Amino acid sequence: MAGAVLENVFKTFGETVAVENLSLSVDHGEFLVLLGPTGAGKTTTLRLLAGLELPDSGKVLVADADVTALPPAARDVAFVFQQYSLYPHYTVFENLAFPLRAPGRRLDAESIRKRVGEIAEMLRIGHKLNDKVTQLSGGEMQRVSIGRALVRKPNLFLMDEPLSSLDAKLREDLRVELKRIQRDLDATIVYVTHDQLEAMTLADRIGILQEGRLVQIDTPRVAYERPATVYAAQRLGSPQINIVDTGKLGLEDGPPNAATTGIRPEDITVDADQGEEAEIVAVEHRGDETIALIEVDGIRLHALLDAGISMEAGQRTRIAIRSEYAIWFDSQSRLIGSGATG
Amino acid sequence: MPDEAQRARRALTVSNRIASKLRGLSDTAIAWIFIGPTILLLLAINIFPLLWTIYLSFTNYRANQPGRPVRWIGTRNYERLLGSEDIWGYLQATAHFVIWTMIFQIVIGFGLALLINRNFRGASFWTTIILIPMMLSPAVVGTFWTYIYQPQTGIFSYIVDFFAGTGALDMIGSVALAPWSIIIVDTWMWTPYIMLLCLAGLRSIPDYLYEAAEIDRANALQRFWYITLPRVLPFLMLAVLFRGIENFKMFDLVVELTSGGPGSTTELASINLKREAFEKWRTGYSSAFAIILFVTIFGLGNIYVKVLNKVKS
Ligand SMILES: Nc1ncnc2c1ncn2[C@@H]1O[C@H](COP(=O)(O)OP(=O)(O)OP(=O)(O)O)[C@@H](O)[C@H]1O
Ligand SMILES: [Mg+2]
Repeated sequence: MAGAVLENVFKTFGETVAVENLSLSVDHGEFLVLLGPTGAGKTTTLRLLAGLELPDSGKVLVADADVTALPPAARDVAFVFQQYSLYPHYTVFENLAFPLRAPGRRLDAESIRKRVGEIAEMLRIGHKLNDKVTQLSGGEMQRVSIGRALVRKPNLFLMDEPLSSLDAKLREDLRVELKRIQRDLDATIVYVTHDQLEAMTLADRIGILQEGRLVQIDTPRVAYERPATVYAAQRLGSPQINIVDTGKLGLEDGPPNAATTGIRPEDITVDADQGEEAEIVAVEHRGDETIALIEVDGIRLHALLDAGISMEAGQRTRIAIRSEYAIWFDSQSRLIGSGATG
Repeated sequence: MPDEAQRARRALTVSNRIASKLRGLSDTAIAWIFIGPTILLLLAINIFPLLWTIYLSFTNYRANQPGRPVRWIGTRNYERLLGSEDIWGYLQATAHFVIWTMIFQIVIGFGLALLINRNFRGASFWTTIILIPMMLSPAVVGTFWTYIYQPQTGIFSYIVDFFAGTGALDMIGSVALAPWSIIIVDTWMWTPYIMLLCLAGLRSIPDYLYEAAEIDRANALQRFWYITLPRVLPFLMLAVLFRGIENFKMFDLVVELTSGGPGSTTELASINLKREAFEKWRTGYSSAFAIILFVTIFGLGNIYVKVLNKVKS
């Protein structure tokens, strides 16, 4: 059973093409993350699913029903907005209870109280239930607006960068919590982010968007190891993948039509016994890992240093590249093959 | 970001220091130079007259008899005022006028704002048309409404008669209708003002609030109650504060229309005040009345502002 489907959907705003011939399908109970830089059409895609925008052409299905022309209320979806969209001047409780009081969904006061309490505890805002939302911090407001989606049991959850305004610690906690909730509720979620770590950890599948087009949709592992294009490769992994012209740095054993090669920073070994002569340009200590910017043959590369190696800027060294993990692209930047799959 | 802010602040203090060195003046001195003229002006045309009025309200001074010795008579002016039936009548007429104009203007003004906010075609054209009354001079408005109100030839009487079959209506001349005649004109003139402020409130509401409500299946009433009203209320209350104070002091429109008549049915407080002060020349007595009005407005205004602040937070 499909949770939601977009079929050849187009959406333009005046001259801007926000979404171009987009087709994707989310299974029931699946956690789909849409990843892309700002302006890629992530929000527009969610709004199309919610019915807040109507497509210029194409079809939208939610829970196997064609809802292309139906208004948001008829689709039974929940939406967490990029901006916290709470009812001003009302308490946290009122805001959380609101969706349960809507016509056609009316619950009795006792079940509302119980459900709101559960969700508030889960999001750790239980002690704030009687506060006005205007008195909350940004992170608390964001949790209330997530809670407002979770109190219901809709066909489809749509979340637009819901964790972006939280601090790192809370973001990590909520990421785990959200994943757990999704499994417990068997919920179908389409989740938008431009944070690759969120995408990798939350997603059953990742959809990578580029200027309104879907470049790739795969499991995190496949998307990481076999990116469909150079662009997709650059979306996942931090620091970014190194893209080098084939033939340089001794990368010659690729397919004959390979034009560029992608090398992940973790596949470069620094301080090797043999290999290319290199100079360390800069070193970045991130606590648990160290990243070095290295110059070889006039090419700059990012490398993830092994624990225990300490390097300083200006130092000369030798690097080795694990070319068996290299990813090969043709002259149109499309994937030809990757070491991971032979 | 914080770096930038810090640098900017440092640059500012440096330039401040240079400026003060150049002129040999401290920051406080410069501040006084800037606000000094305003304070002098305020003292001369606001504070001094107020204190002088308070003094006069305890005397038997008459401005048309400058040679007469001014006698201190204590609180006798106040006693006479508060004991007089007429004064309560004028205050009642004023309250009637203020309350009804505010009710009509809030309801119609908010309604118009909601309509205009739908951004139909030609909305900005209609906004301009609606705003015209507000921009006219009260003297002009008063004068041409006396023509409109003419019982025999005026269009108002004609239209009401046409729809309700009331016969010729003497809006200005009849004791029952005269208070409503000034309420109607004030509403016609100042509803646009309330509409404008409500519109500012409505425009400040982001679309995504309504979108969230739509997804939550809120109906129109809930959307109004949960989103529109809380967002517009501070604006609306501010508009009512401004208009309420203005109408408490209403003078020009009423002088042009009814001059307080018939009898004293539309004799609002400020009209009576003018009569006492500049027709009967009871300067001390009218000073006391002015002080009473001032304290009333000031007190009501303060309570109102407290409520307003509560609503805003
Ligand atoms: N209502 C609108 N009117 C005009 N243009 C719009 C509108 N909504 C989106 N766009 C345009 O469509 C494109 C995609 O916008 P969208 O909001 O979907 O991007 P996004 O991927 O969500 O970006 P971000 O990460 O910044 O939120 C952008 O170029 C944007 O300017
Ligand atoms: Mg967005």
